[in-house]
Amino acid sequence: MKFISIAKKDFKELIRDRKSLAMILLFPLFFMLVFGFAFGGMGQSNQPHNLAVVNYDKGATMPITGETVNFGNNLTKVLEDSKYQDSDVHLFDVNLTTESDANKKLEAKDVDAALIIPENFSQSMVAMITSTMQQPLTTGTGTSASSFNATATLIIRGDTGYIGFGTSQGILTGVLEQYKDTLVTQTRSAITGSSGAETTQYIQSKVEAISGTGSFTTFDFLAPGMMVFAILLLTTTVASALTREVEKGTLARLKLSNMTSFDILFGGLLPWSLIAGVQVVILLIVAVLIGFHWQGGLNSLIFALFVGIIGGIASISLGMIIAAFTRNDNQAGNLGTLISVPTSFLVGAFFPLPQVVIGHLWGQSFQIYDILPWTHVLYALRATLTFGGGWDAIAYHVGWAALLTAVLFVIGVVLFSKNRLRADN
Amino acid sequence: MNNVIIEVQDLKKSFGGFLAVENLNLKINRGEVFGFLGPNGAGKTTSINMMVGLLRPSSGQVLIDGREVQEIEKGTIGICPQELVLWDYLTCRESLMLMGDMYEVPGAKLKKRVDKLLDDLFLTEKANTVVSQLSGGMKRRLNLALALIHEPEIVVLDEPSEGLDPQSRRVLWNYIRSLRDDEGKTVILTTHLMDEADRLSDRVAIIDHGKLLRLDTPSNLKKETGEGDVVEMIISDPGKNQEFINSVKKLEGIYGVVEVNSQINIRARDAVGKLPLIMDELKHFGLRVVDLSVRQNTLEDVFIDLTGTGLRE
Repeated sequence: MKFISIAKKDFKELIRDRKSLAMILLFPLFFMLVFGFAFGGMGQSNQPHNLAVVNYDKGATMPITGETVNFGNNLTKVLEDSKYQDSDVHLFDVNLTTESDANKKLEAKDVDAALIIPENFSQSMVAMITSTMQQPLTTGTGTSASSFNATATLIIRGDTGYIGFGTSQGILTGVLEQYKDTLVTQTRSAITGSSGAETTQYIQSKVEAISGTGSFTTFDFLAPGMMVFAILLLTTTVASALTREVEKGTLARLKLSNMTSFDILFGGLLPWSLIAGVQVVILLIVAVLIGFHWQGGLNSLIFALFVGIIGGIASISLGMIIAAFTRNDNQAGNLGTLISVPTSFLVGAFFPLPQVVIGHLWGQSFQIYDILPWTHVLYALRATLTFGGGWDAIAYHVGWAALLTAVLFVIGVVLFSKNRLRADN
Repeated sequence: MNNVIIEVQDLKKSFGGFLAVENLNLKINRGEVFGFLGPNGAGKTTSINMMVGLLRPSSGQVLIDGREVQEIEKGTIGICPQELVLWDYLTCRESLMLMGDMYEVPGAKLKKRVDKLLDDLFLTEKANTVVSQLSGGMKRRLNLALALIHEPEIVVLDEPSEGLDPQSRRVLWNYIRSLRDDEGKTVILTTHLMDEADRLSDRVAIIDHGKLLRLDTPSNLKKETGEGDVVEMIISDPGKNQEFINSVKKLEGIYGVVEVNSQINIRARDAVGKLPLIMDELKHFGLRVVDLSVRQNTLEDVFIDLTGTGLRE
């Protein structure tokens, strides 16, 4: 297997050239640090986020007191009153409205996000409180406390490609979690403590400062984009390394042998993928260290690593295509940057681009940017890191990213063979 | 088996408007050492790059054993380029193993071959040293070893002794001879060193400005420009060189007189015996000798005869 010999050779060259290796690995570190400080809200004052709230809640009756409650109204009030940690600035500028108006406002970007409270929200909350109250009593009896199904789904709506939505939804999710937790803990203390305690009062008096929300920043939304940008720059590194083989004449040596374009490129792909993996790990670690609030726990990080490596392989393949056209290190560096930087804009790494739908596939609209694998890498990174989505949320994009990467690699093999492994003119 | 291994037919190469190689026609025999002699920029490297299939000719063709060079089996040719073409971060052994793998040399055979090459080229001690830490001479020898790892039938050496000290050069020359004599390889080498072409080659092609000027054995070439010795002299007034040359030419037994870089080369039979006559002539012009030496006819004289100039370095 000739590609294995090439892989070994490239791997040795990569790890023995310590200086270059250090630069390749330190680059994402510095890069993330710089962007983290730039967008991480250092010295930047917190602003309230515009939130549309649509409340369909019909209310419910509390089981013990028989009191009529509307948790939808209560939640709205909580959202209005919530403030940034250690600050007097409100988290949200709440705009209570109808669903159609909320949608309009979302489109016009008058609001960053819309929260839709379902009609059974109070019922569900009451069910939760009831089950919490019953829990200590039913322990050991074997009967399930929550025998009735009362799940209410709160909808957070918005444009997932919009930075404002990214941050708002992050904060909103945090507030909602806190709201639920507070309800449960307060109900518990209500049972063990004095009887007849009014849950609603506890809530109203308690949720003022939401811990953890103080540092929610633009960076949380931008971090996946930064990762894609850093991954894309691997293109230039790979193009330079391969072009060096041309420049030094070692490729001429190899091309007189039985080596094929696939051997040299696939052989090169293996060690470079390893580098891409390490880069992604560094990017994730640095992002988290400087305050990236990712959702979805360890699973998300593992998904992100997987997706990031696919993005890295796409960049490596693009680097190989570039190397089929450049004659020296300088040209490779320039052409690599010339292609990878605009590409990072095209895939939406920095800001969302206008919608250019060119078709529909499996119920998803296919945009012109979707022919680039990194667009899907970015979607998938955002879906899992920023929005906490699992495999279901990213599978579609991972599939596309992998397919398009394979296409890029094949193009690389064909072009490299045509331009570099035949007799020169 | 056909005795001709490489046949070059009407080979031409132009880069833009510049004609690097012009209508090259030659046949190289199996098992000979064939030398391309010419100054830098004469078109030697361009010619051999076309002959091994690295460069596409503008017109004409190269046949290896009767087949187009682009269609021959990979591994028929091994080329040792003029520049050092090595992987800086691999060791000698790793480099050789890599190229062996690329030529699909079977594992056990490859290992033996690597050991032998390292030994033959005095690199065994440095087998596990990375290339960037080798001396210039060692790099040269590894550069050569890499061309031989797959035991090619035809070995092409582009300026192999460039940058070698006399001792390493001798090692290299012996090795090239053993390639032909012990292993029956066909060796093509380019050089701008007369001495190298003379001592190593069975036949020499003299090439300048992309044109083949002469192709023959070194001894025939030397014969062609006449036997005898060469007197090289520098006279006190170089301005009178031409006048002096014209009068010496008229002397009996003088084969030729040329001026090379303000030095006068007189080729004559029994040059030492002719010296008094030449001195008389010099006195006649009222000139003195600044420097004088007598030596045997060399390929350089052939070259000067053909091109009218000395070798450009």
